[in-house]
Amino acid sequence: MIRELSWVDPLYLILALRWTVAITLLALAGGTSLGLVVAACGSSGNTAARLAARGYVGLVQGIPLLAWLFLFFFGFPIFGIDVPGWLAATVAFSVYSAGFLGEIWRGALISIPKTQWEASASMGLSYLEQLRHVIIPQAVRIATPPTVGFIVQLIKNTSLASVIGFVELTREGQMTAAATLAPLPVYLMVGALYFALCYPLTTYSRFLERRLHGAG
Amino acid sequence: MALVELRSVVKRFGDHVVLKNVDLSVEKGEIIAIIGRSGSGKSTLLRCINGLESVQSGEVLVDGVAVHDPKSDLRNLRARVGFVFQSFNLFPHLTVERNITLGPTIVKGLDRAKAAVLAREALRRVGLEEKLNAYADQLSGGQQQRVAIARSLAMSPTIMLFDEITSALDPELVGEVLRVLENMAREGMTMLLVTHEMNFARRVANRVLFMNQGTIWEQGPAAEFFQSPKTDELKNFLGSVLN
Repeated sequence: MIRELSWVDPLYLILALRWTVAITLLALAGGTSLGLVVAACGSSGNTAARLAARGYVGLVQGIPLLAWLFLFFFGFPIFGIDVPGWLAATVAFSVYSAGFLGEIWRGALISIPKTQWEASASMGLSYLEQLRHVIIPQAVRIATPPTVGFIVQLIKNTSLASVIGFVELTREGQMTAAATLAPLPVYLMVGALYFALCYPLTTYSRFLERRLHGAG
Repeated sequence: MALVELRSVVKRFGDHVVLKNVDLSVEKGEIIAIIGRSGSGKSTLLRCINGLESVQSGEVLVDGVAVHDPKSDLRNLRARVGFVFQSFNLFPHLTVERNITLGPTIVKGLDRAKAAVLAREALRRVGLEEKLNAYADQLSGGQQQRVAIARSLAMSPTIMLFDEITSALDPELVGEVLRVLENMAREGMTMLLVTHEMNFARRVANRVLFMNQGTIWEQGPAAEFFQSPKTDELKNFLGSVLN
């Protein structure tokens, strides 16, 4: 049924935005948990753990996100496991986020000079106390701007979930455009909504970066 | 028993032998200066005493703790052995106060208020009470090094190890750090210092060690050591650094 674009359509788009936010948050939850493991392994003294982390990061970064989505959406049913779109998307985005976040955090951890470990060790702090009070607080400062930058990428990349039928902002836009035959205004609105979500984060990330390189 | 006892200590990095059968015994209250060319093993010797470096063979006994034994718990020992680095190594994300209270609160379990009193007392001893709330990057090199000393002092150490602590400082800032060391010496602190400050070593140390090729090549009471060196290697070394 073809219908006119009406005042309710922007409302529907805004409502669909919460699914974009939801899938981003789910991916961040999964990506953070797995990413911490990747960062810990990647910065550890154990060679096998380091190699495993490097392999994982290489695999994730070397395969397009869309391929990961297809892999989980079409791959599971082959083994008789039927996964809904949102679950396949959550798993794929989590796997993908862990690869990038793990690498960002590994870099931050190993950028803390060895002398900081030595200074805290020579005061009697245990390994975990050194991490908690001396190493991680400094690494977090370094890692925050690129982490926020990655989240912005992730928000925009969740639009790929539309191809496996998950109704988030882009999919809602596609359906509205098809029903109203007015793609331009619809996609302009979709773009504006992504922008409204991402721009404040980008600004925040720049602010953090300036603070990091400025007054310290 | 001596406060620090090293017996036939061997330390290797790969194939490179840094310490060859080093024996050393340090009594409580002694002030020992360690001199020598770079690469002679003097910093490594110091780092073996608080377990920052593990040794391949021999024994390192410090205040009754077998540091060479991987099974030993170094936590309590390190609380009693202060270590000050050439590059200060203050924690840049923490205030001066928190730099100093970190050890007492976490390792010794003091509450923050008591530790803060210790921090002020330690800062007073290095003449920097007014810097309590500063961050490392707001301090000069000399001030950072004095805070690093205060950070060790707040743990009430039984011995202090100093690893070339004035080598990274501009010449005009060396004096303020050496004055702090002299005060500590007068108060009877047991101290081992790796240093290039020969005048300071002569004036303050009871005993001077000359390290060469991974061994303690020559040692003696400060005055005699500088006046009448016995080996050619020490004569050459003193000749090159004093002139």
